[in-house]
Amino acid sequence: MQSMKLQHGMERELCLSVCVIQLWMESATRKLQGDTRAASLLQLKGEGGGLVVLLHDAASRETRKRSSERPAHRGDRGIIIMSAIRKQLSFQILLLFISCRNINTKTLGATAPPLDPTAPLQKLERSYVLKGDSHTEKVELLNPVSLVLMCTWTGSQNKPTNITGFWSKDGKEIENSRVTVQLENKQYNLKRTFSIASEADLGSYSCDFGGEAKINFVLAVPQMGDERDKPIVSYLGDSVVVPCKLDDSKPTPNTWNWYRANETGKEQIIAGQKFSIKNDEKKTKLVIHDLTADDSGLYYCGAVYGVGITMGRVELKVISFFEPLKPFIAILVEVIILVAAILLYEKSRSKKDYTAAGHLGKITDQRRALR
Amino acid sequence: MPPAAASNLGYTPPDGGWGWAVVFGAFISIGFSYAFPKSLTIYFKEIQEYFDVSYSEIAWVSSVMLASMYAGGPVSSILVNRYGSRPVVMVGGVMVCTAMVLASFGTTIIHLYLCIGVIGGFGLAFNLQPALTIIGTYFHVKRPMANGLAMTGSPVVLSTLAPLNQFLFDSFGWRGSFLILGSIVLNCCVAGSLMRPVNKNASPEPKAEASECNGAAVEETAGTPSANLLTEENQSGSKSPGCMDKFIDFSLFKHRGFLIYLVGNVVMFFGFFAPVVFLAPYAKHLGIDEYSAAFLLSIFALVDMFIRPATGLIGNTKLIRPRIQYFFSFAVSYNGLCHLLCPLADGYVGLVVYAVFLGLAFGMVSALLFEVLMDLVGAHRFSSAVGLVTIIECGPVLLGPPLSGALVDIFGDYKYLYYACGVFMLVPGIFFFIMHYFNYKRLDEEQRQAEAVDMRTSYHSCEEAVELKTGRDDKTVPETEG
Repeated sequence: MQSMKLQHGMERELCLSVCVIQLWMESATRKLQGDTRAASLLQLKGEGGGLVVLLHDAASRETRKRSSERPAHRGDRGIIIMSAIRKQLSFQILLLFISCRNINTKTLGATAPPLDPTAPLQKLERSYVLKGDSHTEKVELLNPVSLVLMCTWTGSQNKPTNITGFWSKDGKEIENSRVTVQLENKQYNLKRTFSIASEADLGSYSCDFGGEAKINFVLAVPQMGDERDKPIVSYLGDSVVVPCKLDDSKPTPNTWNWYRANETGKEQIIAGQKFSIKNDEKKTKLVIHDLTADDSGLYYCGAVYGVGITMGRVELKVISFFEPLKPFIAILVEVIILVAAILLYEKSRSKKDYTAAGHLGKITDQRRALR
Repeated sequence: MPPAAASNLGYTPPDGGWGWAVVFGAFISIGFSYAFPKSLTIYFKEIQEYFDVSYSEIAWVSSVMLASMYAGGPVSSILVNRYGSRPVVMVGGVMVCTAMVLASFGTTIIHLYLCIGVIGGFGLAFNLQPALTIIGTYFHVKRPMANGLAMTGSPVVLSTLAPLNQFLFDSFGWRGSFLILGSIVLNCCVAGSLMRPVNKNASPEPKAEASECNGAAVEETAGTPSANLLTEENQSGSKSPGCMDKFIDFSLFKHRGFLIYLVGNVVMFFGFFAPVVFLAPYAKHLGIDEYSAAFLLSIFALVDMFIRPATGLIGNTKLIRPRIQYFFSFAVSYNGLCHLLCPLADGYVGLVVYAVFLGLAFGMVSALLFEVLMDLVGAHRFSSAVGLVTIIECGPVLLGPPLSGALVDIFGDYKYLYYACGVFMLVPGIFFFIMHYFNYKRLDEEQRQAEAVDMRTSYHSCEEAVELKTGRDDKTVPETEG
């Protein structure tokens, strides 16, 4: 399988032609070798739009799937193929043109904030072979990607030739994603490409085989490690350092943000006189000066990645100095009482001993004097 | 040598009664002295972030506290020699309390060094020495038992303070916790108030009657009550001239037993604490998770807790007591062996076994540490002896863990650390065995000579009185100046 990473702008066209030539050469050689399973992937991206084209070159199968990764307004584009098209490829290209009309240009999910159009999306593939009836797979994403999800199901007891498969996001079925899945090599395959550009695109994507089997892909940013469940305690008028850190195994975020929880949700904290933020790769610290009782509450630290923000939660509690003073005075009083009791007890005992010893001393002295 | 004066106290220690209350007081004082610096480490992480300092800077607080505690030994000895145990312990308790209260208002890390480190350390020194000394004045026959029980204070207080500190930290943050810890430490004053000075007037009557038959012997034994009170202070003065010796007994450096103890201990302390400090990191290095590693330390502390009184009990038996130095040598060598065998332990089970044996060894040495010193120099010089010993031990105790840490860093493997510590403990152990063999021989010789002289002088006086004295003599340890 060959995949090509595309360069920006001007080089793209050059690359495309190279790409096509390579494809041609590969398919030629494979045909010569009798290999009927050569798949190649071409990714094209035009200005403000594009198509992801999957060429599945298998002589026995001839299944083609195409999906669009761009929102509807970009329309139905044809494939831009540069020069150097040889005859061997023309058949494949012809098929492409035919199926072009069936291209889906449905949007997936909510409209994401406009992504930098000049930056090409990274490509990522995730697949899973399901043997039972459901499975959940976690996918950790940092930056916007073009994600290809491949689901394979081994089927249940009775294996009908055709079943209906569809994709859903966060429980809701994606429109026009229903396809008829054929049984190949005793397996059902579903494959779809998703464009994950912003936080709204994250979530749980599921491929469903006729309602009988389901694989969930949970797309999320790297999560924070163990959260501190006990609140940080500090005092009125004092300053406090609220820390937040990511596990060492997680990738470094682009930046950190801090939020304060209020009635309507979270509002971002801006560094200034009262707050200072110190960021250090995988750690961050929020320093709050001149604490007041209002500063108690929940604070959120957000590690900002290309595709979303992961939140960590810290609670702050501000108390007055009288709180610890109460146990302090209680124990102080207890100590004074005990010491006084012991000393008084000793004084009263020693008085008795003294008088007794006094008598004894007198007796022994008298005895000695007598001798 | 006259039997009653063999204890060189000039009176018979009660060996019970109020003595057990004193042991309880010593238990608390010693417990806080050893456990307090270790238990403060829970707060270090937050304090480190608050003051924005590196970890090594915050670890200095503990080191300064420990250093002050050991350096304060001689000062403490001088004060105890002069004023007795009780006032010194109470002042010590108040000092640590003040230190913690001041630290809770601290604004810089230097503030913490001075308050917790210096003042707190000295306060703890004023708790440790007098507690050890007063046991020697109250006990003679049951002294190993009393020492073992008192030294148990360290693991017990540590096990209590560790979860308590965590609870305080979660409820009050570090400032409030320091404040409350200050008041908890004030309980050392309660312990101090229990340390009633022993009643030296209570010389039993038979002794007074015996002295009637033995006019010459009275002067030697200083049987009269008034003479007793002066004995403690004059003894150091009469032994060697010099004004310093009224405060601290430097003639100890000519004492054979003391020198053996000092030399052996200085070498031993290089390898004494490091294995315990590095037990958890070693476990993590072997791939064991954090909680199981912490559990190893709990096992160690639990075994330590029970072995200390047990060692005291064993040390008290008729078999061991006369030759208790050999028991101590055995304990030290056993420690060394344990460390040398540690690298052979692999897996969690191996480490658990090692932790159990480490607890055994550590507890045995700790319980006997001061008992053997008392045994060598005698209770009346013990105060000065322990002061000198602690200030000299200050060096190895502070240098031991960092040097071991450097060993780990250089070789990247913990087993060299354990080999080094094993050698550092095995060599003094064998040294002790050999030296004490010779020392006991000399002491026995001196005892026989002294007894012969004594027999001749008392030959002409009441023989029943002599028999009464020797019959009453239940001392089993020969104590002579070296």
